[in-house]
Amino acid sequence: MKIGVLVKQVASGESPLRIDTSGKWVVEESIDFTTNESDSYALEEALQIIERSGGAGEVVVISMCPAERTPKIIREALAKGGHRAIHIQEEAPYETDPFMVASIFAEALKDESFDLILSGLQSDDLGSGQTGVILGELLGMSTATLVMGVELQKGKLRVKRELESGWFQWVTLPFPACITIQSGLNQPRYPSLKGIMGAKKKEIKSIAKSDVKGSGTPMQEFSRMYTHKAEKRTEMIEGSTDQIVDRMIDIFKKNIKVI
Amino acid sequence: MEVSHHVPAVLYLFALIAVVIFIYNLRRFLAIRIGKSDPDYKIKIIPAIFNLFYFGILQRRVFRKSFSYASIMHFFIGFGFFILLFATTVDFFVARGWFVSYLPHLDTPWFALLNDTGGMMALIGILMALFRRHINKPKSLPQDAFKGRGNLFGDSGVLLYILLLIFGGFLSEAARLAVDVQSSIAQYSWVGYRISFLFSSETWSALEPYLWWSHALLSFLAIAFLPNTKIFHAIISTINIALTDRDLRGKVKPMFVSKLMEDPDMDVDEISLGSTKLEDFTWKQLLDSIACTECGRCTNVCPAYNTDKPLSPMKIITDIRHELYGKYLNKKEVNGIVGNPITETELWSCTTCGACMEECPVLINHIPTFTDMRRYLVLSEGKPHPQAAESLEKTMNTGNPWGFSKSERTKWAKDAGIELPLMSEKKEADVLYWVGCAGSYDPRNQKVAKAMVKILEAANIDYAVLGNEESCTGDSARRLGEEYLFETMALQNIETLNKYKFNRIITPCPHCFHTIGNEYGDFDGNYKVQHHSQFIMELIDSGKLKLNKYLDSKITYHDACYLGRHNGEYQAPRKVISSVLKNGKLIEMERNKANSFCCGGGGGNMWYDIEDGERINSVRFQEAIDTGVDIVATACSFCTIMMDDALKVKGKEDSMQVLDIAEMVATAL
Ligand SMILES: Cc1cc2nc3c(=O)[nH]c(=O)nc-3n(C[C@H](O)[C@H](O)[C@H](O)COP(=O)(O)OP(=O)(O)OC[C@H]3O[C@@H](n4cnc5c(N)ncnc54)[C@H](O)[C@@H]3O)c2cc1C
Ligand code: SF4
Ligand code: SF4
Repeated sequence: MKIGVLVKQVASGESPLRIDTSGKWVVEESIDFTTNESDSYALEEALQIIERSGGAGEVVVISMCPAERTPKIIREALAKGGHRAIHIQEEAPYETDPFMVASIFAEALKDESFDLILSGLQSDDLGSGQTGVILGELLGMSTATLVMGVELQKGKLRVKRELESGWFQWVTLPFPACITIQSGLNQPRYPSLKGIMGAKKKEIKSIAKSDVKGSGTPMQEFSRMYTHKAEKRTEMIEGSTDQIVDRMIDIFKKNIKVI
Repeated sequence: MEVSHHVPAVLYLFALIAVVIFIYNLRRFLAIRIGKSDPDYKIKIIPAIFNLFYFGILQRRVFRKSFSYASIMHFFIGFGFFILLFATTVDFFVARGWFVSYLPHLDTPWFALLNDTGGMMALIGILMALFRRHINKPKSLPQDAFKGRGNLFGDSGVLLYILLLIFGGFLSEAARLAVDVQSSIAQYSWVGYRISFLFSSETWSALEPYLWWSHALLSFLAIAFLPNTKIFHAIISTINIALTDRDLRGKVKPMFVSKLMEDPDMDVDEISLGSTKLEDFTWKQLLDSIACTECGRCTNVCPAYNTDKPLSPMKIITDIRHELYGKYLNKKEVNGIVGNPITETELWSCTTCGACMEECPVLINHIPTFTDMRRYLVLSEGKPHPQAAESLEKTMNTGNPWGFSKSERTKWAKDAGIELPLMSEKKEADVLYWVGCAGSYDPRNQKVAKAMVKILEAANIDYAVLGNEESCTGDSARRLGEEYLFETMALQNIETLNKYKFNRIITPCPHCFHTIGNEYGDFDGNYKVQHHSQFIMELIDSGKLKLNKYLDSKITYHDACYLGRHNGEYQAPRKVISSVLKNGKLIEMERNKANSFCCGGGGGNMWYDIEDGERINSVRFQEAIDTGVDIVATACSFCTIMMDDALKVKGKEDSMQVLDIAEMVATAL
């Protein structure tokens, strides 16, 4: 089985976010980059699928990012057991439209003929959750999103999808398939030093984004980026118990939207 | 005791056979050849002689906690046998007419007295031991008294055998006294002499040859099989004691991973990282395992064991021996011992507190051996404790185990309106203040960091911090066996430190103190490092810091393992505390200084929970509660967090406080 895994480098959750002068991106200097969370689970699932099917096959790690910062996460994915990698190198301004991202991947990967492509459910930075599905459609693969479990059947793939309110759905897909993985379905492994040493000899194929002719035109663009404002506000509620409770429920519903 | 001056020639034959079998059985000692050579190990003659005398012959560690049952018991057995050995040797010489003019013999009153006293001591000791193994039964000792781990007949089998030997000895002595002359000297053999009255001299003389021969043969048998039994420790543990380099106590060996990675000939599949196969351990580590006396002292003091975690340091050490003998003597196939019989949870339960090593009477170095097995799990298998994996990954990505942003390392100061002098701007300072990850990011320890700044300013110290250039020292990573991450952090920090000029580094964290001060040297990072307790004490002593004695409370000090046991600093924090006491009082917990009980946060345990049993910090905090104090003083970032957590768990927020010594000093300014 030949499996492709999309891994994206994103800002770690604790990174301080400041908007840069263009107003459309964040200041990268103060950011600690790390592998997108659900992508780590996708990689682990891919490695486990190969292990479960007796070790035959290949896991190809695919990422698009600037030349200088992605190698760290690619190497980490190879250290964990990925067999080789494809790095599409891009310069700022970065591709933010999921349709464009998917088209570029589709173009770059079409000759690989993957049996299976796994992506994370959504990226922790932009969080639109579409890249995987669009890529699957562009490559003519069967697709499923929000996958919580994967079973290999004879020539088929059976996946468990997460629905709302704790409901799940089992779907059977024919190969080739492209599925997006939800965090938490496995325990991503830690890169061993042996793995890290071995990764140095593994192939990382670099392609310039400009050399890949994406088929689409951007369907969305960033006009402006904002960071959330943290704010402390105090309101003293007075009145009868009923009035206080009513006002509190009102605040919970309308202002902080927790009920 | 037993002595005959007429030695039949056939006895020499038996003696020879016994010695040959003894030598054959000694071959188990050679099992340590399976181990790796250790190029860093150099035998140091003077310390070896000192160890041999102090820890070997005087058995200093056995009597560490002065009069415990076990130490008295061992004193009787050990010294009883020393005396008997001495007496038998002297008598052997005398019987042959060698050096007679220099030696006492059995007709010398004090010698006769000493001889029987030795026998009696051994007898009492053996009875005490049997009582301990069968009635008292401490749970840290091997529970099946007749099965030793790699020792023939276990503990009790050997004890009973020795009992037989001692009885036999006294009886043949009695026979000799009854048959030979009843001289005025005889009464000095005070045990045999009294026994000699049990029968008539005719009966004794009939019994004498049987008694004598059976005693001689039993003694030869004992000699022949000594190496197979627990008594082997008298030889092998003594050798181990002499060979242990106490300067390397607890020191984990650098692996020089970055050099390894640059080596073009390195074969990833062949290389062994960490230890699981017996061949992965050094000969000294294997010798440690053979030398273990199964006394259970290490396990008795182990914080993990005492809170019902699945760890007994003795079990791990003897597991290694068991597998080693299995492989060497019985040709058992041993592929790896991590996993089975030594489980991952056992290894992760260790807080590297060093209590076991402090306690071990035969100077076994547990921590480096345990760390090597953790290294195997992490570096070869990629299997750190799952919760620890998270903080290791965070350390790799952000330079701190909490995963906060590298660029916000000094936010604590900015938020408090403190202008920290930065090394990157000053380039030179007397003191480099190493804040540490906890001081930088953990809200509780940020208070300590602020107190430190207040102290530095008050004493007018020329200081600076590294700010965002500072990274985790890699302490947790190293204890967790993640040597690659440790080295990455260490090399990066050393490069940064070497850019600047300073006289010393001070830090409030004993883990940073230990790692930078004792371990960076292997990577050419040589600095003078002081713990804040030492630094503050110096400021007080030199009059640079004037303190108001303000504290009226009762206070206890919790020793940090990496300040106390690992670095021998017990006084400085206590002196600092005393200098702020007005009417207050420093009360020691039951376990203090070298016997202190860990907070549970060391060895990477800060970053994961072992589910089993009680929390270590709760147990320790209860001890503080029992002293009836108002304040628990700490001098370690992890201890402060752990003790503070325990304070909350125990619901003592209103009546007690956990304070770092720097916080107390800052209040006294
Ligand atoms: C169940 C569900 C409910 C939702 N509900 C709402 C809602 O109520 N309201 C709302 O506003 N939104 C909601 N969303 C989110 C919304 O649907 C998303 O905007 C959308 O799904 C698109 O995500 P995306 O294209 O940005 O994903 P992407 O950011 O494209 O990421 C998806 C994956 O593609 C791969 N990938 C992407 N870029 C790269 C790259 N450069 N290199 C390598 N790999 C890459 C990674 O594997 C990544 O994990 C919901 C989403 C889901 C799944
Ligand atoms: S170092 Fe401490 S926790 Fe670890 S085995 Fe020894 S006594 Fe137990
Ligand atoms: S390791 Fe040391 S303290 Fe522990 S049982 Fe063995 S000899 Fe005793």
